[in-house]
Amino acid sequence: MISQVFILSSKGDHLIYKDFRGEAGKDAVNKFYEMVTALTGGQPPVVMKHKELHFVHIRQGGLYWVATTKADASPFTIIEFLNRLTALVKDYCGCLLEKSVQMNFALIYELLDEVVDFGYIQTTSTDILKNFIQTEAVSSKPFSLFDLSNVGLFGADTQQNKVAPSAAATRPIVSSQGEQGSKNEIFVDVIERMSVVIGANGVLMKADIEGEIRVKCYMPSCSEMRIGLNEEFSIGKSQLSGYGAAVRVDECSFHQAVRLDEFDTYRILKVCPSQGEQTVMQYQLCDDLPTAPPFRLFPSIERDSGGRYRTLFIHLPLLSLFSPSLFSSLSQELSSPDQSAELQPKNKAVHWEIPRFPGGAQLSALFKLEVSGLSAASLQEVGPVSLSFELPKYTCTGLQIRFLRLSPIQPGPSQRWVRYVTHSDSYTIRI
Amino acid sequence: MTDSKYFTTTKKGEIFELKAELNSDKKEKKKEAVKKVIASMTVGKDVSALFPDVVNCMQTDNLELKKLVYLYLMNYAKSQPDMAIMAVNTFVKDCEDPNPLIRALAVRTMGCIRVDKITEYLCEPLRKCLKDEDPYVRKTAAVCVAKLHDINAQLVEDQGFLDTLKDLISDSNPMVVANAVAALSEIAESHPNSNLLDLNPQSINKLLTALNECTEWGQIFILDCLANYTPRDDRESQSICERVTPRLSHANSAVVLSAVKVLMKFMEMLPKDLDYYGTLLKKLAPPLVTLLSAEPELQYVALRNINLIVQKRPEILKHEMKVFFVKYNDPIYVKLEKLDIMIRLASQANIAQVLAELKEYATEVDVDFVRKAVRAIGRCAIKVEQSAERCVSTLLDLIQTKVNYVVQEAIVVIKDIFRKYPNKYESVIATLCENLDSLDEPEARAAMIWIVGEYAERIDNADELLESFLEGFHDESTQVQLQLLTAIVKLFLKKPTETQELVQQVLSLATQDSDNPDLRDRGYIYWRLLSTDPVAAKEVVLAEKPLISEETDLIEPTLLEELICHIGTLASVYHKPPSAFVEGSRGVMHKRLPLGGDIGGSPAMGAGFGAAPAVMPASLNAPVGGGLGDLFDLGGGVGMPMGAYIPPKTVWLPAMKAKGLEISGTFARRAGVIQMELVLTNKAMSVMTDFAIQFNRNSFGLAPAGPLQVLTPLGPNQTIEVSLPLSTVGPVMKMDPLNNLQVAVKNNIDVFYFSCQYPISMLFVEDGKMERQVFLATWKDIPNDNESQFQIQDCHLNSEAASNKLQGSNIFTIAKRTVEGQDMLYMSIKLSNGIWVLAELKVQAGNPNYTISLKCRAPEVSQCVFQCYEAVLKN
Repeated sequence: MISQVFILSSKGDHLIYKDFRGEAGKDAVNKFYEMVTALTGGQPPVVMKHKELHFVHIRQGGLYWVATTKADASPFTIIEFLNRLTALVKDYCGCLLEKSVQMNFALIYELLDEVVDFGYIQTTSTDILKNFIQTEAVSSKPFSLFDLSNVGLFGADTQQNKVAPSAAATRPIVSSQGEQGSKNEIFVDVIERMSVVIGANGVLMKADIEGEIRVKCYMPSCSEMRIGLNEEFSIGKSQLSGYGAAVRVDECSFHQAVRLDEFDTYRILKVCPSQGEQTVMQYQLCDDLPTAPPFRLFPSIERDSGGRYRTLFIHLPLLSLFSPSLFSSLSQELSSPDQSAELQPKNKAVHWEIPRFPGGAQLSALFKLEVSGLSAASLQEVGPVSLSFELPKYTCTGLQIRFLRLSPIQPGPSQRWVRYVTHSDSYTIRI
Repeated sequence: MTDSKYFTTTKKGEIFELKAELNSDKKEKKKEAVKKVIASMTVGKDVSALFPDVVNCMQTDNLELKKLVYLYLMNYAKSQPDMAIMAVNTFVKDCEDPNPLIRALAVRTMGCIRVDKITEYLCEPLRKCLKDEDPYVRKTAAVCVAKLHDINAQLVEDQGFLDTLKDLISDSNPMVVANAVAALSEIAESHPNSNLLDLNPQSINKLLTALNECTEWGQIFILDCLANYTPRDDRESQSICERVTPRLSHANSAVVLSAVKVLMKFMEMLPKDLDYYGTLLKKLAPPLVTLLSAEPELQYVALRNINLIVQKRPEILKHEMKVFFVKYNDPIYVKLEKLDIMIRLASQANIAQVLAELKEYATEVDVDFVRKAVRAIGRCAIKVEQSAERCVSTLLDLIQTKVNYVVQEAIVVIKDIFRKYPNKYESVIATLCENLDSLDEPEARAAMIWIVGEYAERIDNADELLESFLEGFHDESTQVQLQLLTAIVKLFLKKPTETQELVQQVLSLATQDSDNPDLRDRGYIYWRLLSTDPVAAKEVVLAEKPLISEETDLIEPTLLEELICHIGTLASVYHKPPSAFVEGSRGVMHKRLPLGGDIGGSPAMGAGFGAAPAVMPASLNAPVGGGLGDLFDLGGGVGMPMGAYIPPKTVWLPAMKAKGLEISGTFARRAGVIQMELVLTNKAMSVMTDFAIQFNRNSFGLAPAGPLQVLTPLGPNQTIEVSLPLSTVGPVMKMDPLNNLQVAVKNNIDVFYFSCQYPISMLFVEDGKMERQVFLATWKDIPNDNESQFQIQDCHLNSEAASNKLQGSNIFTIAKRTVEGQDMLYMSIKLSNGIWVLAELKVQAGNPNYTISLKCRAPEVSQCVFQCYEAVLKN
């Protein structure tokens, strides 16, 4: 049971404050800000307690979204709820910024009133709420279709992606004003996150992919959408097909609105997307990747004969972590001038940044580190190389959207966008 | 034009200006003004002075404006109760509005105005709205009952709203059902003994149906409510599990966790060799793994829960070790939790993998994490014996890195490894000694000193090493000082010739120059020991030490059980029971898992037992105190010819199975009261307190009628006799054998389980004498299939004596007939649950073998009754 909900700016300004049960005072807001800013790195920020009041919060769009409770409530419920709330605000106000929340406070209060009653969560579906919400959203800037700025996928920040008009995805979903509402657009994104560990001997030790299909729909009345996945898509380890060409995942879960009657035979997801953003399908794949991991690294470390320098040969984008030892300087040889590398003494790491990396290419870097008191043992401390990357138009599982059909055919022009991206969640190569 | 300007106006006459605008004729202007008021309210300005003006705006058909006004009302009504009355009329009128949105809005807002005076006006509109034709209004009204209950509980009861709320559980709209369940659950929590949420198979069925239809949030309410239900038997529990498992693949993690909670609880009742049990175990793993791909906040909460689940049922995740490997970008609090779970899951099968990971972690950047990783290697060594050698060599590798905190942490865990595997890895001592100088933390220094003292005979320069520590004795922490004192005394006992000076030095430092009472006392004890009897001193100081236990920091079993019942809630994150952090009456009820070992069958005796296979989980199977056979075979029982038969006491729970607590006992029926007579003996070295007793559900509903009266703590080697009165109104479940009773006894040390069998004659009631006519009619009425015949051998009583003896145990002879030298005795017995047993006993003069025929509508009891006959007649 939620006692209060409030939204704070990163500076601690009260943007929204709503008390549902009259159990706790308004001073809780300031107390929360005090506590959250006093947290140290090691303390889990998830649940905080002050006397009888428990705070659960998330951070989105630079804002603190906080719920308090006095009962033995479920933190899962509250975190999920807060995430949904941010999604709702995003759907209604366009984007999650301090300014948009401030401008639309009346709308957000109205939303909160419908979404939670006496601390019981009622509904968080944009579609249902549309029937109750009266206030209209105020947009921070007039929307322009031609504004192809680098806002990126709504799921991720990207620099390269100019496939779809990204700004289109940051306007309010629900709008009764004619010119905006008439734009019939639907976005289907396939987003995959990889976590990979490659051992020092080059053996793939662990590879997990978490993927999801997200739909963001601007159509006011979309009757039914059929999303066709690869026909050879299979779930679970037992269904491996003889030729190994299948697109396979271990586990799959679907949004409760998805109808799966054609899924088993034709791999078609049927969904009536409500306006707004929703995750239609989530899937996971552990260990058996259909393709080799996208990046390989052949690191080598040498100590020079004098024992004062340590040299690292590394062939790929990297974020290399070093454990405690003192080092004084770094020199580098990189394969291209638009790359950069710097030593970050605080993290004991060398940070190498590569703006663009075409497929099938090889890059290399050579770092020389001066290390005081270098010994044979300190070579053992050279930590793993970690990669952060984003691969647009690529899925590791090979999952593809075969087709996207709307039935019945929408009157007027409608635009359908399908986008793919693979992110690194944690891509580690041990040395 | 944007709303943000409302936040910026802070001029002096602001309130005045707003007042004017609120009273404006133009709707738009009014709306703008109310918005401004609410903006001021949000940032904490006091705009209560505008109350009458805002309330005046309430009567409008503009829904947007109305909502804004209501928002204001909810905030300020409490501080202006008299003014709030002004709004009542509009509320009452709105509750009649043709627009369901307005009706719902009115009833919702009225409930939020926490003013006593308003509540009386609220009753009538609420009653109507509870029966409204629109589900949106009904679901809002359901919540409103909870609101009203919070303000005035008595009123809600008097007005009969609770019954209406109960009816809503059968509503056709799932949203209404969900809200009704949520409201009732909350109200029920403040009345722990009420029967508000009357959960029975029918209502459970309704809830399960609504579960499939309502929103994700409604599903959470319903699942949480289901978790409070105790199924009657394993079949019901299985069928509920089957209907709940589809929720495990829900996208909302809160739904998943609530489903996991229900399953974890109901699984307790399923026999472990059931195929379905294994299937369920397999189904639980994937959703838990999925939770780990969420954002770090959810991951952390999930890991805290998984930590509990792994302690309760490690088999669920035993193959999923890899998902708990840390990622370099995990926040530190996630890393530490993962590490903890990795150790809990470590086993011989996966230890190589785990060690390789831990070694990687030990070279990371974050100091806390590295320390914990090193410690984890030590815990693996202690937990998985086969891996100990590899762990030790890994630790030695880490010591070679000379990273200060790694070395210190490694030495602390190596000390534990020495304790666990004495005389195995002492070869590494030399390496440890090399790092003596770098140790600056008390725990590491103390560990090192302990090692030097313990293995003084193998370290050539042990005296020098210890002497070097002694120089700064007063600057050391108490932990190190105590350890140093003990180590030097050990050294002296092992090498008395060279170290006399050293030991005198440390004893005088400890006794004369220290203010610390612990240190001084320990110093004096050693001193006197050494001066009076060095041989005894050797025996004491160098005594063999008990081995350290394998698993550390496990949660105490009773707490774990309670926490499992709270999976997914704050309690599972804090790892504390809700009573520790929730105020008031709420959540004070301690939830318990159902005791396991439930066996199929019908809920009530006599309704025909299903022929369910008899299965007992292994955990409860072990300490059976002796079957009926040997119970009765023991001669020399307290034979009281005319009184009720009391079997001699037997050992139910041997001391070795219960950490030193021995329980023996018997059952007796005295003056119509069933007594369980227990003898508790403490064979352990420590004092036992806090005894409590609990029974599993059993065939005749036996339950303790009062607490176990052990008022004084039970000292070592002490014995206490306790008599526990029993009632027969407890929950019923068929056991096999029928008279089996599973008992849990708790004390300050642990909870122990045993099972024992009671003679069924305990349950024979005093008014068990049937009328002759009734007897005849009943005898005829019971089908012949229900008749069973037994032989009682070697009984040398005549029929008269036998009849008297049996009467003492409430077996009443109704008639006697003599046919051809055979005495036929007709008898009746009534059991505490109302079952009648009719008997025909044939006694032939000179023949020591009796024949007995038993007829009963529940033929299952015949065997037990026969055993009673035998026992009673032979004693």
